[in-house]
Amino acid sequence: MSSGKTSRYADRGDRGDGDASGDGSANGAMGGATSVGRRGFLRAGVLAAAGLALSRPLLAEPAMAAPRMAGNRGPDDEMIDAVRQLLKAKFGDRKIQYGHVQFDIPTDAPDGRAVPAIMDIDLPITPDSYVSAYYLMVDHNPDICLGTYHLTAASGEGPIETRIKMRRTSYVRAIAEMNTGELWSAAVKVFVGLNGCG
Amino acid sequence: MPSTHHQIPADAPALTFAMPASPPTVGDAKILLPLSVARNAVIDVRALLVHPMDTGFFRDASGNPIPAYFVNAVTVMYGGEQVARFEWTSGISRDPFVRFPLRASREAPVQVVWKDNKGGVYQQSVDLKFA
Repeated sequence: MSSGKTSRYADRGDRGDGDASGDGSANGAMGGATSVGRRGFLRAGVLAAAGLALSRPLLAEPAMAAPRMAGNRGPDDEMIDAVRQLLKAKFGDRKIQYGHVQFDIPTDAPDGRAVPAIMDIDLPITPDSYVSAYYLMVDHNPDICLGTYHLTAASGEGPIETRIKMRRTSYVRAIAEMNTGELWSAAVKVFVGLNGCG
Repeated sequence: MPSTHHQIPADAPALTFAMPASPPTVGDAKILLPLSVARNAVIDVRALLVHPMDTGFFRDASGNPIPAYFVNAVTVMYGGEQVARFEWTSGISRDPFVRFPLRASREAPVQVVWKDNKGGVYQQSVDLKFA
């Protein structure tokens, strides 16, 4: 996250911007610690650090690239046509960037009837720059855009929390529209057990 | 030998959680503000409405479809001025709960109005006081 404000959810980790190379290196170092001794652990750590340092520039991705989890296809790859059309109808050709939205939702939801979701933004909120609306979208729900939260300058900064229904495993997208017209978003894949929509 | 057991007075309140006097009915609403609010602080307002939020896709025990019945518009008024507006569908869970920020700029009532797709209008308001 390239913003001056510290994240409110720093202790929970940043699910929105998972980086495949970073996660892989960390797992490699941990594996070395359990299978070999201290020397091996250090060597693995050095190798991992070197790999990380090398892989960073090679990736050549912008800081606000689409979130990508190891072994999974990203939210843009899995976006179905209905969502594409809805985004086109709502936002036209405006660019929707990933980042700055702190989206807190469980990745495993055994009960799809009530999935808690918290949306927040880590940009500074001033009377001239505030979130005018949060959009909450579930790709595979009957109503894709199931909640729109219009805020004003009198709202101030803070999270929106709600509970949503989900039909089946799909990406959940939170899009924050600033009053300046910028669109920031985050997407999390939620694995659903019980169908909550019918 | 005196008993060391604690004697519970006969008139002591029960230690179990009391059930509400009447079952919740559609339209019962609560708004929760923080216990103490400072001037110009941004507070979290929590609002809860008792509502079935039926999607229209489920059937009852005898196989008849349950028609869609859900809250689709929520407005938040602060001292007579609209500060937030939510558009909902049946994808919001039953007994819809929402937490949203509000800048406490003055002592005024906070009112939330819910409207559902069958014309029902429910409202609840609390007075915001600085403490």
